[in-house]
Amino acid sequence: MATVESWGGTIADIGPVYPMVGTEGLLVIIGVVAWIVWHVVQARRENREYEDQVRKYGGRESLKRLISEEDPKNP
Amino acid sequence: MDNELTALGIIFTEFYYWLTVVLMFFIHVGFCMYEVGASRHKNHMHTLMKNTMLIPLVTITFFFFGWWIYFAFPNGPGILGGLVEAPHAVAWSEVMGAHMGGADDLENGWARINGVFWAAFLLFSWTAASIVSGSVIERIKSSGFWILAVSIGSVWWIIDAAWGWHAEGWMVQLLGYHDAYASGVIHAIAGGFALGILVVLGPRIGKFAPDGTPRNINPRNPWLVTIGLFLIYTGFWGFYVACNVPMWDIQAGDEVFYSATNIYLAPTTLSAITFNFLMSLSGGLLMGYMISKGDAFWTYSSGLAGIIAASAGNDLYHPIQSMIIAALGVVFMYKLHYIVERKFKVDDAVGAVAVHGYAGFFGVVVAGFVLWGYPSSPTEGYAAINPLGQLVGAIIMFGVLGFLPGWITAKILNGFGLLRIPRQIELMGLDTAAVRDIAAEEQAIIDAEGDAAAKV
Repeated sequence: MATVESWGGTIADIGPVYPMVGTEGLLVIIGVVAWIVWHVVQARRENREYEDQVRKYGGRESLKRLISEEDPKNP
Repeated sequence: MDNELTALGIIFTEFYYWLTVVLMFFIHVGFCMYEVGASRHKNHMHTLMKNTMLIPLVTITFFFFGWWIYFAFPNGPGILGGLVEAPHAVAWSEVMGAHMGGADDLENGWARINGVFWAAFLLFSWTAASIVSGSVIERIKSSGFWILAVSIGSVWWIIDAAWGWHAEGWMVQLLGYHDAYASGVIHAIAGGFALGILVVLGPRIGKFAPDGTPRNINPRNPWLVTIGLFLIYTGFWGFYVACNVPMWDIQAGDEVFYSATNIYLAPTTLSAITFNFLMSLSGGLLMGYMISKGDAFWTYSSGLAGIIAASAGNDLYHPIQSMIIAALGVVFMYKLHYIVERKFKVDDAVGAVAVHGYAGFFGVVVAGFVLWGYPSSPTEGYAAINPLGQLVGAIIMFGVLGFLPGWITAKILNGFGLLRIPRQIELMGLDTAAVRDIAAEEQAIIDAEGDAAAKV
C-alpha cells in the first residue's frame, strides 16, 4: 500500500508520495460522480423543502401573521 | 533542488503563491460579510450558505477540469490551432498531488509548484462566482446558483484567462489584448455573467413600484457591508501579487536578468503595482464619495471599482494616471448602474454588475488608448496594445463569455424550475420557516420540561 517505504534513499528519485499510485483515473471518476450526485440530491431536497414550507405557511393569512410576527418594522 | 540557489528559487516561488492564496481568502470572507450585510434579516442564513458552498463546489470542479482548460485552450481551440497538451493539469496527473519532483516524465518544476499555482487561480475562480452571488441574493434557488457558480468559476472565466491572460493566448497574439490585473478577465466577465442571470431571474418582489420606480432596499447591516468591503480590499493585495510571476529571466539572448513579470512574462515590479493599487483605490474612493454624496455603500464600492477600472494597465500606468482612470471609471459605472436599473428594471442587489462589470469593461477599453503601442508580450510577432483590440477584448469578456453564457444557463435552469424560489418563500423570507420550526422545537421542550423546572 505504501508508495514510500523509506526516506533513506535518493530523495531526487522520489515522485508521487500519496498511496495507491496508479488509481488516479478511478479516483477522478469517483470524485466526478460524487459531485454530480451532490447537485441532484441537493436540488431535490431544496425543492421539497420549499414545497413543505409553502404548504405549511404559504396561505395568505399565515403569511401575513408570519411576516408581522418576525419583524414587523424590518421584514 | 540539487543546489541551494535553485532550491531557494523554487521554494520562494512556492511560498510566494501560497501566501497570495491566504491573502485572497480574505476576499471571500469579505464577500460573505458584504452579502449578509446587504440582505434582509429574513434571508441572512441562506445568503451566507449560498456563498459559502460555492467554495467546495468550485474547488472540486476546478480540480476536475478548470485547471486543464487554462493550459489546453490558449489557441481557442480552433482560432490559432487545436487543444494544447497539458499533462500536468489533468485531474489524473501524478503532479496533481503530493509529489517530490523525481521519477516523472513531466518537468520537475510543475511537481513543486502545481498545487500553489492551481490554488492561486482557484481563488480567482471563487471571486468570479462570488461576484455573481451578491447580485442575485434573496430570490435565487441555491441549487440553481451553485450550478451557475461552477459554470462561471470553473469554465467560463478560465476560458477567458486562457484566451487573454496567458502568455500564448490567442487574444494576446492577435488582438494585442492587455489586462494585467484582470479588469476584464475576472471582473467584466463576472459582471456580464451576473447581468445575464439577472435579466432572466427578475427583480426582488417590491424592488420596483407598480409604475416602475425603483425602491431602495438598503443594506440591513451597513457596518458588516463596509467591513466586508475593507476585507475585499485586503484580499485584493493577494490578488494583485498572484497575477505576477515573482522571478523570471526576462533578458533576451544569452545574458541573464531576473525580475518579476506580469502574466504575459513582460517585466514589472511589486513597487509599480503597489503605487498603482493604492492610487487607483484612492481615485475610486475620492470620486465615489463625491458622486454618491458621501453614501458609505457606494463610497466603499467605488474604491473597489476604482482599482478594477485601472487594473488592466496597472503594471504600466503612472500612479496619477491610475488615480484619474479609477475616478473616471467610477463615474461611468455609477451612472450606468442607475440608467440600467431605471430603464431595464434590473435589480442588481449589491451593485456587482456595476462595480465589476461596467468598471472592468471601462478599464479594458481605456488601457487600449493609454497604452497604445506598448508590446503586449515580450514574444516577437504579437500585436501591440491598441484601442480596437481592447474594445473587442472587452466585448468578448463582458458579452461573449460573460453575459451570453449567464443568460443561456439561467434560461435552462429556469426551464427546469431551478432558478427562482417560490413567491411565498420570498415574501416570508428564506430563513423564516426554519426559524419557526426551531422555535416550535424549543417550545416543545419548554412544554415538556417546564412543570418539572417549576417544581425545582
